[in-house]
Formats: sequence, C-alpha cells, structure tokens
Amino acid sequence: MVTLLQTAAPASNLAYLFAAFAVSWIVFFAYAFFMSRKQHEMEREIRELRRSLEENQPPDEV
Amino acid sequence: MLHGLRRMNLKSGLLVLCGLIMVADLWLIFQVAPTDAVIGDVQRVFYFHVPLALVSFLAFFIVFLCSIVYLVKRSPAADRIAYSAAEVGVVFVSLALLTGIIWARPVWNTWWTFEPRLTTTLILWFIYAGYLMIGYAAPNRAKGALYSAVVGIIGFIDVPIVYYSVVWWRSIHPAPVVGPMAETGALEPVMLNILLFSMLTFLLLFVYLVMERASLRRSEDDFRAIRLELRRASP
Repeated sequence: MVTLLQTAAPASNLAYLFAAFAVSWIVFFAYAFFMSRKQHEMEREIRELRRSLEENQPPDEV
Repeated sequence: MLHGLRRMNLKSGLLVLCGLIMVADLWLIFQVAPTDAVIGDVQRVFYFHVPLALVSFLAFFIVFLCSIVYLVKRSPAADRIAYSAAEVGVVFVSLALLTGIIWARPVWNTWWTFEPRLTTTLILWFIYAGYLMIGYAAPNRAKGALYSAVVGIIGFIDVPIVYYSVVWWRSIHPAPVVGPMAETGALEPVMLNILLFSMLTFLLLFVYLVMERASLRRSEDDFRAIRLELRRASP
C-alpha cells in the first residue's frame, strides 16, 4: 500500500499546498508578534502608571 | 520576581522546543509522508488541518472547564485561562477553516460548501468569536467574565456536534481519522504516526501561546487595577 502511494503520479497542486502552509505560518507569526508588542506596551504603561501613583501619594505614605 | 523569571524561562524553553519540533514536523510532512496517489501533494495539508482542528476542540474544552470553575469560585485565574484558551482556540479554528478552504478547492472543486462539517465549524467560530467580544460589550469586567463563562459552557455543545457531523449526516467531508469514531486502519501507519507527531507539535504551540496570552491578560488586569487606584488617589 505504501509503495503504491509513493509511486503513483501526484496531481499538480503545489500552489495550494504552499498557500495553506504560508497562511498558517503568517497567522501564527502575526499573532505572536501582536501579543509580544502588546505585552511590551502594557509593561511600559504599567511602569508609567506606577510612577504617577507614587508621585500622587501623600509624603507620609511614600 | 523569582517566580516571574522561572515562568519566563519556561516560556522561552517551550518556544525553542516548539521551533525545533516544528522543523522536525515539516521534515516528516515533506520528506517522509507518502504522496497521496489520487489528490497528490496537497494532501499534506492534512498534517496541519487535522491537528489545528483537534487542538481547537481541546482549547474550547479548556474554556468549558475554566468557565465552570469561574462560575463556582469566581476565580480571576480561571477567567484568564478561559479567555486565553478561547482566543488561541479561535486562531486555531480559523486556520483549520482556512486550510480546509484551500484544500477543498483542488479536491472538491469549490472553495466552500455548506455541508454539515463546514457549517458546524463555522458556527463554532462564530460562537467563540462572540465569546471574545462579550467581555468588551459588558458594562464591567466582572459581568463580562460572567457572561463569557455562560457562553463558554453553552458554546461547547457545538464541539461534539462538529466532530459527529460527518457520522450523523451525509457529507462530502471525510470521516474522522482519530478519536472515538475513527475507523481502525483508516490511515497508513506512517501517515498516522506523522499525524500524531503533528498533533504533539501543535499542542506544544498551543500551550506556549496560551501561556503568553494569559500573561498578557494578567498585565491588562494589573494595568486596569493601577489606573483605578490612580483615579481614586487623584484629588
């Protein structure tokens, strides 16, 4: 059965194969990139908010 | 601090492992897997398409479990994991649909047909896309988490319907090759082994992405809490 599968002439549809794999990779990389960028942005904003919060504290609480 | 560093190392290690295992998976798909005699090379999409769909089912099962935990305990961690699994699950099911559409064109001679498996999967996509939007539409975070949990539980009903759709209704979509309804010997052993390896690969990628998303969700929660504190502290 395996030999049969390997020796038969395959249809020419490599463009579809390429498209399916390319779409998957592009979506995964884009998603990971989006998350990483958002995470950095969040961390920066949290740092800034913490700084503002410390500045707003009354002197005896600092 | 130490806990955070350990988590970062775990995520970095997992990312490296994902990269290595994905390279091995691609080598297996393109070098070891036999070419299908009837539909040719495009059949190799199968090693991406099936794991993407099955891992999305797992994602929605995690949403279902965490939603129950949230309703019982009101645990923010359960909400965080449920939301992260749902978002990554939507990415996976979107890719399962897209790769299916691309695969269908040369094999079925159409990009899309409203047959049972495709239609129920599209409904699944809408359910969980709705789940992700509910949080933003709710008046506050607690209510958003509550509504999402309800959708996460009810929405899961569609997952077994998607799986069994090819068994219950006449369909042009092939029968399941893994799971309780899979026929024994439906796949060549070499194909089955490569499929299982692909599933492991996508499972690791899923775990990594959920960890990343949950970490981002935690940062979003922290950001919201600090902003609220700042508003209260401002005169």
